[in-house]
Amino acid sequence: MRLKIVRIITVFLFIVLALDLIYIQAFQGRKYFGLSVNNRIRVIPLEGQRGRIFDRNGEVLVENRLSFNVTVIPQDVRNQEALFSFLSQVLNVDQKRLVARFQQKRHTPFAPVAVVEDIDQRTAMILEENKFRFPGLYIQENFRRWYPQGEVGAHVLGYVGKIDSAKVEKLKDYGYSQQSIVGYSGIEEYYDQYLKGVEGGVQIEVNSRGQQVRLLGIREPERGEDLQLTIDSRIQKAAYDALAGSHGVIVVMDLDSGEILGLVSSPGFDPNIFSDEKRGREKGALILDSAAPLLNRAIKGQYPPGSVFKTVMAVAGLSTGKITTKTSFHCPGFYQLGRRRFRCTHVHYDQNIVQGLGHSCNVFFYNTGVLLGPDNIHRYAQMFGFGEKTQIDLPAEEVGQVPSRALRKKNNSDWYKGDTLNFSIGQGDILVTPIQVVRLMATLARSGQVPQPHLLKTIGDQPFVKLSAVKALKVDAAVFDIVHKGMRMAIADEHGTARLLDMKGFEIYGKTGTAQTVPTKDTHAWFAGYNLSGSKRVAFCVFLEYGGSSYYAVRVAQTFLKTLREQNIL
Amino acid sequence: MRRNIDILIWVFTLLIMGAGLIALYSASYHNVRVSNEVFYDQQMFAVVGILIIYLLSRVDYRFFFDAAYIFYGLNVILLVLVLVAGRHALGATRWFTFAGISFQPSEPAKLALILVLARYFAGRRPSVSLNDKDFHGGLWQDLMVPLLITGVPMLLIFKQPDLGTSLLFFGICFIMLFTSGLEYKYLLGLSACCLTALPFAWHILKDYQKDRLLVFLNPNIDPMGAGYTIIQSKIAIGSGRFFGKGWLGGTQNQLNFLPERHTDFIFSVIGEEWGLLGTLAVVSFYFVLIYCGLKIAEQVKDKFGMQLAIGIVGILTLQATINIGMVLGLCPVVGLTLPLMSYGRSSFMIFVIMIGLLLSLSKRRTIF
Repeated sequence: MRLKIVRIITVFLFIVLALDLIYIQAFQGRKYFGLSVNNRIRVIPLEGQRGRIFDRNGEVLVENRLSFNVTVIPQDVRNQEALFSFLSQVLNVDQKRLVARFQQKRHTPFAPVAVVEDIDQRTAMILEENKFRFPGLYIQENFRRWYPQGEVGAHVLGYVGKIDSAKVEKLKDYGYSQQSIVGYSGIEEYYDQYLKGVEGGVQIEVNSRGQQVRLLGIREPERGEDLQLTIDSRIQKAAYDALAGSHGVIVVMDLDSGEILGLVSSPGFDPNIFSDEKRGREKGALILDSAAPLLNRAIKGQYPPGSVFKTVMAVAGLSTGKITTKTSFHCPGFYQLGRRRFRCTHVHYDQNIVQGLGHSCNVFFYNTGVLLGPDNIHRYAQMFGFGEKTQIDLPAEEVGQVPSRALRKKNNSDWYKGDTLNFSIGQGDILVTPIQVVRLMATLARSGQVPQPHLLKTIGDQPFVKLSAVKALKVDAAVFDIVHKGMRMAIADEHGTARLLDMKGFEIYGKTGTAQTVPTKDTHAWFAGYNLSGSKRVAFCVFLEYGGSSYYAVRVAQTFLKTLREQNIL
Repeated sequence: MRRNIDILIWVFTLLIMGAGLIALYSASYHNVRVSNEVFYDQQMFAVVGILIIYLLSRVDYRFFFDAAYIFYGLNVILLVLVLVAGRHALGATRWFTFAGISFQPSEPAKLALILVLARYFAGRRPSVSLNDKDFHGGLWQDLMVPLLITGVPMLLIFKQPDLGTSLLFFGICFIMLFTSGLEYKYLLGLSACCLTALPFAWHILKDYQKDRLLVFLNPNIDPMGAGYTIIQSKIAIGSGRFFGKGWLGGTQNQLNFLPERHTDFIFSVIGEEWGLLGTLAVVSFYFVLIYCGLKIAEQVKDKFGMQLAIGIVGILTLQATINIGMVLGLCPVVGLTLPLMSYGRSSFMIFVIMIGLLLSLSKRRTIF
């Protein structure tokens, strides 16, 4: 009887074993097989170098600099005490801190731990020579993104950093992984797919200690494409210096090709901070800085254009026939609307369209605006590309805002005549970006041919398809001739608003703007125009955020242009 | 009928030894961690072992009846000596070097325990009847003396420390008590005592023993430390799938991911390289062998023979199932070898002797 019980229990035990074997080997076999493959096969990623970026003259804007990290492989260390005391001496770092970093970052016995990052080449040589004395010590070579011109090109170029989880999700089908370094803002982001190297790797079989048993395969990493930009770094530098740290923007564009020659937004930042792990604190400071140095004001800053908008008004008035060259309005220094007076800068007496532009007479354009009505103004503003992206090859461009009666209605309020007056002189709800203003200037200079602003010249050795004059406005060329006269008068006339720019060797057309902001703050200063003399015809815009009267913008423009002329660039 | 069982025992013993040698060859193939001497050693012992089985099968097992107490006494002395003068290895003193040969006294102690218990139960009740209710001798004689006999070597082995083997001793004792016809009330009482003692036993355990038990419950507590072995062993077995990765083709094995694979974890090598086919084959080998042992226990006509057969079958069953359960993660890692397959001279020789005894029992079971 009891032997029978023993037998039953024995049979039961063996059935349990057999069932578990079937479960593990038959049903979960695939999973465990995968685990066994993972166990023995390691892929050591080889970073594909990012492409370099050059300016139009072949000068290096971004490159990859060799950097050296001190790494320790835990399982190879014989004498930890000796190793760290040696490291502490050579690197001049407290031994306790080194050990603490090592303990904190080690995960597995075979994975290298970066104890100190980015040491200089001389120290790296010293360590390399003494490596044999301290098993487990290795010097790892890395490539680090390097921006030789620092702040000067920051907003055009952008910066690089470790990919964030949202981006990985979005881009993982395109060869990006958790470890990828990607571009943020600027060209680095916009053309990331070209710049990015193709990651290679070495596949090895390892034993239980992680030591290589044999090489299974190797895929060489590929270098990303080099890019050449339309930027001229001399112009870039001159613009940066001319702004001298004040908040603002200078954009210069070849008005025939749409190539951006210079684009500086100030204050800037040093993109090198983002590729250096030791400068994490500075990174934090940049993000929190109330001056918003990371913001590219040229494409993301949205400001009222002020009197610069009068050029659009002139084209609108003339081509709709509401005004002609013979039309003249009397300026007593204000425009009376009901009980309210809309002011002008001076008492201009009788002004025609050319004078109105040259002297920037508000009253002339109040009258023009009243004749046009808000719908016409809106139509022409849109025609010149306000309220939409210029499609410049930079990420996250803003569109600005063009007010209209429809928009007002949507916000449940009415359009008043005063709004029309404000609209007419580029005040009120209208907002534009500096890059839109530059395109406006180029369009005016080319009598209605709208160029496409762009920054990329070549990818690798392939010249990038040029995008010039993609669109022609249906406006009579004679209209532009009149506007040109007015814009020239702003510089050439003795009462012109930008007389400072009447310099030898330049043939500048332009329009100043002093845009009112909130009552407690200073006005924005604008000068936008184009120069027709010299080797290149350029459209440009100088904008000073809360910079006061347009006079200051004109002065910055003067310094800037003079520098270019002295260096024989234009 | 009799001859059939003998032949089955011979065949399946040889099959198990053969499977063990095949796995050992692979486990030590061109490897720095496990020397291939392990294979040649075991091969030699297998040859010697077959000889011993043959010789023992011809010996009258009642010789062992006479020698039981002396053998037991000698073993207890050896167990004391090993604690005092034994070789220290892997954090435990289990080995003895005697005339140039090192061995583990806890292995012959298994045999000694079975013999002495079988003799004790036979002496207590020399009757042929198993269901004779008149022969109960009370708490002291039926339960306490056998427990004491078991307890002495068990404690000495626990002290080494070797938790697995000492628990195995208790298991054997329990099985033999059960088949000795001990009244159910005592069996239940004993089980109850053990259960209540469990929480106290926890405190006697060494830290690493506690770790092993905790890790058994959840290997991922410490995947690079105590849980490593179980995880790697399960990966090895599971990755073998249906037909295995082929002889010498197990990556877990050849690349040293499997620790202790020539001793306690030999079954994982079979699992990885021969797949479900191999593991079910090996499990069925053990099953047939054990089933034959049980058949002998049923047919043997004297009490000593029956208890001896049960003891042998019990130890085979416990070690085989606990070892396989251990590599599958069903039991904690307690360091019990897989009978006749794991490398280890003492263990191998003792199992060889046990098989020889089984055959000897089989030959003479119709004598009366």
